[in-house]
Amino acid sequence: MKEKEEVVGLRGMMKRFPVGNGFFTALDQIDLSINRGEFLGLVGPSGSGKTTLLNIIGTLDIPSEGEAFVLNRSVSSLTPKESAELRNKSIGFIFQSYNLLPVYTVYENIEFALLLQKNSKEERHKAVTDALEWVGLADKAQSRPSQLSGGESQRVAIARAMVKRPAIVLADEPSANLDAKNSHTILQTMRRLNEELNTTFIFATHDEKVMQYLKRIIYLEDGKVEKDSVI
Amino acid sequence: MHRFLWKGIIRDRSRSLLPVLVVTIGVFAVVFSYGYIQGMLDNMIRTTADFQTGHLKVVTRAYLENEEQKPNDLALLGVDTLQKKLTEEFPEVEWTPRIFFGGLLDIPDSNGETKAQGPVSGTAYDLLSPGSHEARRIGLQQSLVAGHVIQQSNEIIISYDFADRYQVRPGDTVTFFGSTMYGSMSFANYTVAGIVRFGIGQLDRGAVILDISDARLLLDMDNATGELFGFLPGGLYNKEQAEHVKESFNRQYTDVTDEYAPVMVQLADQDFMGQMLAYMDIVSLAMVILLVFALAIVLWNAGILSGIRRYNEFGVRLAMGEEKKHIYRTLLVESLFIGIIGSAIGTALGISLCYYLQDHGIDYSAMMDSVNMMIDPVIHARVTPELYFIGFIPGVLSMLIGSALAGTAVYKRNTAMLFKELD
Repeated sequence: MKEKEEVVGLRGMMKRFPVGNGFFTALDQIDLSINRGEFLGLVGPSGSGKTTLLNIIGTLDIPSEGEAFVLNRSVSSLTPKESAELRNKSIGFIFQSYNLLPVYTVYENIEFALLLQKNSKEERHKAVTDALEWVGLADKAQSRPSQLSGGESQRVAIARAMVKRPAIVLADEPSANLDAKNSHTILQTMRRLNEELNTTFIFATHDEKVMQYLKRIIYLEDGKVEKDSVI
Repeated sequence: MHRFLWKGIIRDRSRSLLPVLVVTIGVFAVVFSYGYIQGMLDNMIRTTADFQTGHLKVVTRAYLENEEQKPNDLALLGVDTLQKKLTEEFPEVEWTPRIFFGGLLDIPDSNGETKAQGPVSGTAYDLLSPGSHEARRIGLQQSLVAGHVIQQSNEIIISYDFADRYQVRPGDTVTFFGSTMYGSMSFANYTVAGIVRFGIGQLDRGAVILDISDARLLLDMDNATGELFGFLPGGLYNKEQAEHVKESFNRQYTDVTDEYAPVMVQLADQDFMGQMLAYMDIVSLAMVILLVFALAIVLWNAGILSGIRRYNEFGVRLAMGEEKKHIYRTLLVESLFIGIIGSAIGTALGISLCYYLQDHGIDYSAMMDSVNMMIDPVIHARVTPELYFIGFIPGVLSMLIGSALAGTAVYKRNTAMLFKELD
């Protein structure tokens, strides 16, 4: 049995945004622990705080109060350089709109994620080839994003997020722009990678199709954890 | 990373085409303008030197003080000796006497009575001495529209406009009235050898040309000359070389107690030429500054537009862990690539056109009839070593400045908004 290793720890965490003369509380007293290898979803209606929580876990934002630890690093104490480095090495992002770089090929889009890590060309080639095989797009390596279907584009985005073998992958509504068949394909892919590579996947979603695959669901409502259920 | 940036520039035309075009046009404009201005300046220098000033000239101190009056009563005497000394001391310089004079030219009718009279300004060149380059220097043969060049004594060449107005033809006899260097009246008959048209308004309106020996007889200037011109090797003016010769001569010959002592001046010291040369330097500098400023503003705007278009790309790169300063640096590297491409194309086009116009020139004769400048109406460009960097460096610089200004928007990006912006 694998030993539990906390990759995200949130302790009494709050996030407020200034609105007019007051504040809007987006996250209110969040206490959560997420372990390596989890496949979990943050579920809730719009405005419940899902994306704000992803931002903080992704070191794109900091909490207003409380503590947020990502891979044992306090998010609040990270300098911009340190948070960029953490994202670069340990966190992958998957967006609803794929956001592939249109001027580069599939291969180059995936390779781009490795460029900042100063790996050798051979190392990059091996990693990109592996990533393309994980998502079943080895034959599309030289295609441009404009030549891909939505499902294929999202699989490239998954490969781009996974190529550096991050500890955590954050996915914001990854299936929102896909039909049912493609949604299932990419979710199966991510689930497989989660199991094979022990990568933690954290989704922000209210898509029933995604929820079918989750091992743990955290329900958020008005910035608070309403329910945390392991399936 | 640089390979990636390069691919992006090549593949994404909207990223590179507009900036490359802007830089190319700007650099081309500067390179061509500079080359053409240099050609025009060369033209003015050459024409002024050939006809009016020489690259160097020796006159008496008194003559120099009243130079605009061309006072032959203050002429240099003992010119043969002086010329010989100059040739010995400065053998690289070709020395030749010139006399400028004025008077009336009387045109007789078939009965020998005065048909018309007109004022003329004359120049005497050493046209008949063996080995003299004066006829070639002023392009006498090419400027002839009728008759022939002076081949013997008592021949005169008349400018086209004057000949046309008074119906003078080659072979006619004309009488010149003037005064000697001692103030006595002088006159002499000459046979019109030829009619010339230099294409320079100032020379074509009322100029006559004599051989120096005839002028000396006419003006009673035996072994004298108003001015002793010096021309540098190849007929090419070189300010530093001319200055060196001038200073060397003046150190040796200047005598402040004798107003008839010879003094040497060089082209840049004369008339408006010094100011003109300085003015052209300022114009060139202003042109370069204007290029950098104008292009930087245009490219700044192009950079902002490009930044808007690539908003998602920068967002993804920030999310993937690229630092803002790294993205900013890559924008500068991209702009360096684009600046180099645009500047290289602009410089190549500008130099190519300058090379073409260096050979062919543009003829402005129709526009220059009334122009009082010593300038050949066919103006050529001139390719100089400066052309290779005068536009190139400012082109690259303006692209960098434009991108540096536009790229600061990256620093204003709020990473906390990335998920919302990228969905």
